[in-house]
Amino acid sequence: MANVFDKTTDALGASLNYRLLRHNVTSSNIANAETPGYKAKIVNFEEALSRAVELGDVSPTPIGNERVRVEDNPEADVNNDRNTVDLDKEMTTLAENSVLYKAALALINKKMAMLKYGITEGGR
Amino acid sequence: MDFLTGMRVSASGMTAQRMRMNAISSNIANVNTTQTPEGGAYRRKEVVFSAMPQQRHFGEILAGKVDNDIDRVQVVDIRPDRKGPLLKYDPSHPDANEEGYVAYPDINVMQEMVDMIQASRNYEANVSAMNTSKNMALSAIEIGR
Repeated sequence: MANVFDKTTDALGASLNYRLLRHNVTSSNIANAETPGYKAKIVNFEEALSRAVELGDVSPTPIGNERVRVEDNPEADVNNDRNTVDLDKEMTTLAENSVLYKAALALINKKMAMLKYGITEGGR
Repeated sequence: MDFLTGMRVSASGMTAQRMRMNAISSNIANVNTTQTPEGGAYRRKEVVFSAMPQQRHFGEILAGKVDNDIDRVQVVDIRPDRKGPLLKYDPSHPDANEEGYVAYPDINVMQEMVDMIQASRNYEANVSAMNTSKNMALSAIEIGR
């Protein structure tokens, strides 16, 4: 693929998409922390991304794609109302996910800065 | 799938917890209420939460995107709980029956307080989720600057 954006940039883009999905799923878990019968969901982010990179297709992935498995959280406790959301865990996931999202953004910005440098300084 | 999805879901959580808080306030305020428009003592109100799949935009539905992974929460009903009234012997009360018993709502104020704290904590959790969404979206705008 002749492209100014290399595979790393694409992978970082895919990473951002998965982080966004994970963020939205976590938000959904938090909103439903008191809903009887609701099952907490997790996105297996690392697995999903490595599969995407292996397949060589790291294009932006819409939700509902088979590569993203949103499954019931096997580690959650089941309370009286059959709700399996662990609020502390969800808040931790939220914070961790947000930090790593920003890390990926920082890397993309570095890539862009390098590209910009190449464009402005290369012609001199 | 965008940041607005997450923010809408968090907003639904905040709305639901606020409605729950209103029901709890009503229960605490009416702990001694013996008369209601429906007749009889006040009945404790309970909100019923239900997980609903996040609504899709028209375009997304048209494109056949089905998504049951992100659920917002919705208050589907506010209904009186099943507990009957608590009968207290007080013959001088205007609402006492022939035997001298008054029907009071069966509300445990301590239980309501615990529910209130839980609702408040859940509300805060939704607020932090919403703020995180906002911060992530704002930093995404900065790409390439």
